[in-house]
Amino acid sequence: MSKASFLRSRWFEDIPVGEFHVFGSYTLSEQEMVDFGTSYAPQIYHTDPDAAMNTRYKGLIASNWHLCSIWMRLMVDYMEGYSLGVVDGRRNGAGLGFQDLKILKPVRPGHTLTFSHEIIDKAERILKNKWGVIKSRNEAFNHKGELVMTFTVDILAERNPDNLTK
Amino acid sequence: MKSSTPIYFEDLDKFATFKSDETTITAQEIRKYATQFDPQPYHTDRSAAEGSIFGGLCASGWHVCAIMMKLLSDVMAKEKIMLIGSDEVPSLKWKKPAFEGSKLHAELEFKGAKIEEADPDFGIIKCDVKILNQNQQLIMDVKTTLMIENRGSDSE
Repeated sequence: MSKASFLRSRWFEDIPVGEFHVFGSYTLSEQEMVDFGTSYAPQIYHTDPDAAMNTRYKGLIASNWHLCSIWMRLMVDYMEGYSLGVVDGRRNGAGLGFQDLKILKPVRPGHTLTFSHEIIDKAERILKNKWGVIKSRNEAFNHKGELVMTFTVDILAERNPDNLTK
Repeated sequence: MKSSTPIYFEDLDKFATFKSDETTITAQEIRKYATQFDPQPYHTDRSAAEGSIFGGLCASGWHVCAIMMKLLSDVMAKEKIMLIGSDEVPSLKWKKPAFEGSKLHAELEFKGAKIEEADPDFGIIKCDVKILNQNQQLIMDVKTTLMIENRGSDSE
């Protein structure tokens, strides 16, 4: 069994608090930052490298939502299709929401970010007699090892049916 | 409070409310974002999505975040409020899926200053954002903060 299919095959009960993963690294290009900004975050410091020089950021920076989007992609890649589970009977579900998203350093073209993920809590509540809620702390570090982004996110994981009300 | 002159932090009504224009989210747009950032079947494949937890093709939650940013940016630009960033989102909840064809809009409510003098160049305002669909169903519920430029700052 591959690492990814092992991770996806576990029930809520099998996922230990304290488990730590590094999803991988990603280098942002100027073009993709401009593309994202043009579509979704049209401030000039996200869309125009020259005009951005005259803003408080002194150059182009990535949109916060672009960084979150990249986090999602690296998680999906790490899990090799992550929530495939919901379609074919395996066991990871949708996100419920996040807390305390903080952006601590600007991310510029050419910066390489490394994303980590730690399971920090498992909720007692059971949703729809099927799902548990896993809370993780997620962090992104830049090429200098500086923390640039942090948030916690709540994601559904399927409970072992043996433990549920029939 | 539509204005023809720029609104800086000092001038801002810190309890103002706004409603954005509506945007329709197409299957093509859902797939384009998902292919790049969230390639899970319920965001990329209509038939797989129909058998999923969601029951139909729907936008990635992070795609809805990006759409919120566009709607919010458009409101700030229209109102000439000098938004210069956001470095903290205390809470965001995905309440319902945004299915293909959904017409989404944002309702913004300023909740007062978080920090009056966060920096010589800007103040920070608390802002609740609700993303609603054409049936007034709550799709996403957000508590965010916005950095608004001070009058006389040299950040531009």
